[in-house]
Amino acid sequence: MAKQGYHGPLEQIDECCWRIPRSYKLGMRVEGRIFADERLLQQVRHDQAPEQVANVAFLPGIQMASLAMPDIHWGYGFCIGGVSATDPAEGGVISPGGVGYDINCGVRLVRTNLKYEDVGPRLESLMTALYRQIPAGVGTGGPYLFGGKELRQLLAEGTPYLAKRGLATEDDLEHTEAGGCLAGANPDCVSQRAMQRGGDQCGTLGSGNHFLEVQIVDEILDDSAARTIGLEKDQVCVMIHSGSRGLGYQVCDDALLALRKAPAKYGIDLPDRQLACAPVHSDEGQQYLAAMRCAANFAWANRQLLMWQTREIFAEFFGRSWESMQMGLVYDVAHNIAKIEEHTVEGRLKTVCVHRKGATRAFSAGHRELPSQYRSIGQPVIIPGDMGRASWVLVGQPGSMEKTFGTTCHGAGRVMSRTAAVQDAKGRRIDRELAEKGIIAKCRSWKGLAEEQPAAYKDVSLVVDVVHRAGLASKVARLRPMGVVKG
Amino acid sequence: MGRKSTYRRLLNGLQRTLLLCRIVNLAGISTILVMYEIFEHTADLGIRVRGESADQLFADAAKALFSVMVSNLRDVRPTEEIVLDVVGDDFEELLHDWLAELLFTFHVRRLVLCEFQVRVVPGGLTAVAKGEAIDPARHEIDVEVKAVTWHGLKLEHESSGWVAEVIVDI
Repeated sequence: MAKQGYHGPLEQIDECCWRIPRSYKLGMRVEGRIFADERLLQQVRHDQAPEQVANVAFLPGIQMASLAMPDIHWGYGFCIGGVSATDPAEGGVISPGGVGYDINCGVRLVRTNLKYEDVGPRLESLMTALYRQIPAGVGTGGPYLFGGKELRQLLAEGTPYLAKRGLATEDDLEHTEAGGCLAGANPDCVSQRAMQRGGDQCGTLGSGNHFLEVQIVDEILDDSAARTIGLEKDQVCVMIHSGSRGLGYQVCDDALLALRKAPAKYGIDLPDRQLACAPVHSDEGQQYLAAMRCAANFAWANRQLLMWQTREIFAEFFGRSWESMQMGLVYDVAHNIAKIEEHTVEGRLKTVCVHRKGATRAFSAGHRELPSQYRSIGQPVIIPGDMGRASWVLVGQPGSMEKTFGTTCHGAGRVMSRTAAVQDAKGRRIDRELAEKGIIAKCRSWKGLAEEQPAAYKDVSLVVDVVHRAGLASKVARLRPMGVVKG
Repeated sequence: MGRKSTYRRLLNGLQRTLLLCRIVNLAGISTILVMYEIFEHTADLGIRVRGESADQLFADAAKALFSVMVSNLRDVRPTEEIVLDVVGDDFEELLHDWLAELLFTFHVRRLVLCEFQVRVVPGGLTAVAKGEAIDPARHEIDVEVKAVTWHGLKLEHESSGWVAEVIVDI
């Protein structure tokens, strides 16, 4: 399969949105809509991602449109940056491919009361301490072991279970999407293989694009929202990006196996096997939902334990308690997940199954699921960029509720394949190039750093600019990386 | 400029293919040439394998998977032997399930496998795989393959032999 661009139709709806009409492919139940501007559009056409947006429009029960965010890129089955909502009452389906292998991959941001001058002079040794102590890399286990019964409790209860064990505070739970626990998680639906694969990995970073970054608030764009969130210029923060590790990958794999025959059984015609799905109300659909929720809970617990370790490392390094450094959680967001939510579709309130694959929930101000602290400004959205440029904090806007089932982008989006990035980095030392920009990067392998080099990604600021202009989420603060630990 | 960059791309592609041809010594018994190539996929990685027979194709696909994860696979010692059986009638599904089983073995039994003898039989396959326990000090493991996807999965019998394509999630 050679890499090819997309040559199908993309009709401009407005300055930030483009349509793939239903007439493009026989079988599309709704149109496709891609959020992008003229600058990003060329990159959007660069691969087969728009074709995948059209394919997702085949799903039974799909509502409004098959959507894609401006960080869209070619995935497997569903594109990355894709959003689709199905109505179970209209035969709507759930598809593991619409969530992805890394169930509840997500990001959290931790604030501190440290300033650049507190950390800058000692950055190298701080990054070395984080690199040595945060478990990372392929298949690496961590210091937290959960035996059979404990693991089942963790899967059923998520982060609140860690609070019972003294590894999370009430404030942490309040500032995590869904409180760090999806109801309806049933460990009986998680295979032994999945438990074996991820049982010792809670509290580990993993590899690939996962990271822990020490960042500095570079610019505040919305003073009032930034004050409410507790961010100010020159403040040091920590951003953590990881997911459900081997447990989640295996849950997805198991589900795809279980659903292999489901499309034929339910008479669903699909253009790609990776879109395998079953009606939400079917046994197969319910089994997957129950298992996926376990993996999502595991992922929230994973990021919680990564944050907990970070707090302990900071406390030891600076010789003060983490509480005295005010290392509170700003927010934790999932960007690979399926959730049952209420949305107004064409004037009617409906209960739909929202698939977000490489897309972030961005509820607007006043939503009842938001913590009281943020209810007046909208949900904080954490958008990681590449390790050389910037990351962003946004807040959800009413446009997301109207146009995207309360969703916005999730990151920069790849523009270079991994092989191309490695080829591009031949003969270069990415860590030295970053060091020249004042960024300390710690990674176990040259190849890992080469694959994740800044040039492999779109400029996240261009992506964020589109969702801001489209009214999906608005800019609050830009952060720039000081130090990076890659998985 | 156009012609020059096309030429360079061709050359790079050729070099990549050649670099990925590994000569593997099968416990001193015989030496085989493993042919596979990596093809580009924006976020993930595609593996294309060719084989004269289905048995060889499945063995080479396994080697390709481990080569993606372990960059110095040639240094892995075939000291431990395991037997794997995978059930399935559909060749494409069988290839997926075989590679998924190997991935599980890597992550859970923590074995790096470097030699494979595969026999595709009616109703599935039976395989003997050799390798050793993961040793981070000696094994250069720099890519985590999360899963073997169904997207673009292809296994065909052409006049020149067997060819398979699989995209893995990284």
